[in-house]
Amino acid sequence: MASSYLHRTRLRRAERGTGMRGHEGGQLNLVPLVDILTAIVFFSLLTYSGVALAALTSFDLVLPPVVVTSPDEVKQIKKEEDVLNLLLAVRVANDHLEVEHSAEGGFRTRIDSLNTMALDSLQSLMSEIRSRYPQNRDVVVIPADEVSYDDIIRVLERLKKARFSAIALGTKARATPATKP
Amino acid sequence: MKNRTRDSRAARRAQQFSKFKVSQLNLVPLVDTFVSIVFFSLTTATVGELAPVVPGVTLPETTVGTPALAQLTLGIGATVTLANRPIMSTLDAAAELSNDPRYPLKVPTLYRAMKTLADSLRQARGVSKDADLKVALAIQGDRTMRYDLLSRFMATARLAGFTYLSLEVQRVAGGP
Repeated sequence: MASSYLHRTRLRRAERGTGMRGHEGGQLNLVPLVDILTAIVFFSLLTYSGVALAALTSFDLVLPPVVVTSPDEVKQIKKEEDVLNLLLAVRVANDHLEVEHSAEGGFRTRIDSLNTMALDSLQSLMSEIRSRYPQNRDVVVIPADEVSYDDIIRVLERLKKARFSAIALGTKARATPATKP
Repeated sequence: MKNRTRDSRAARRAQQFSKFKVSQLNLVPLVDTFVSIVFFSLTTATVGELAPVVPGVTLPETTVGTPALAQLTLGIGATVTLANRPIMSTLDAAAELSNDPRYPLKVPTLYRAMKTLADSLRQARGVSKDADLKVALAIQGDRTMRYDLLSRFMATARLAGFTYLSLEVQRVAGGP
């Protein structure tokens, strides 16, 4: 009986000892970490396309507004919002900007230069026009042939800041194509 | 005595069977991996594919706008590319005269490539040949390009049926 009791005690101790070993050892299970890193590497390799993914943004262009006169074309206008109450244009040259619109018997102003100060003036003027004619969100930008793409984007950026969302790029009517690269 | 024999027999049996026993099934790595997969799947599904920069093009910079997603792209660097396929050199495009007096800005070689692409898109969508193509075309042009050249590319694209045009530029910090 006594030996049986001792045997059971020994077994219990042995079991307890096994249970304690897990706590005493302080094991750090690295398997989940390795699994996550493997998954991240796998997806990174999968999505890598080999080209630079820069933070690009886009300026959506609309078609320039047209003046319709024939009754058939007038019938095609479905919504009242499709009719502009103001024709607004910004002409861009290498050394100046011109803003003109059709209201108030024809408005026209010139901003000399194309530097940051001139662009600030353009932005404030356009913001003022936007708040005076809140229904109108359309503007046509007409750059001169020699104006660089970079300068056009700077002007478009200011128009976007002035809350004009429908921006069209217009061109001068010409009979022969431009040939200079 | 009887009890002792029974106990020792039970202990011996337990020892013999212990090697067959599945002591623990650790589900933590499995759950972690699934969590990672779900995270990446949701991220790519929500964010979408960002637009890549056409090689060899230095884009203008801006501080406004939201990130642009990948779409059909016309690249204008030293070479004109359409959907990453080189079409012609930019110098050749600038020198090429229009073959249609009604459209003096048209670039014939580019027009042919664009028209083929537009027709195949129309065919894939099952719309008629003259139907309006509701596919946006993004233009990635070099910042030094002159507007007369850009206007020719835009006019050619519209002539080929791409009426939804956008200008893709690089976004830099400093915006609102």
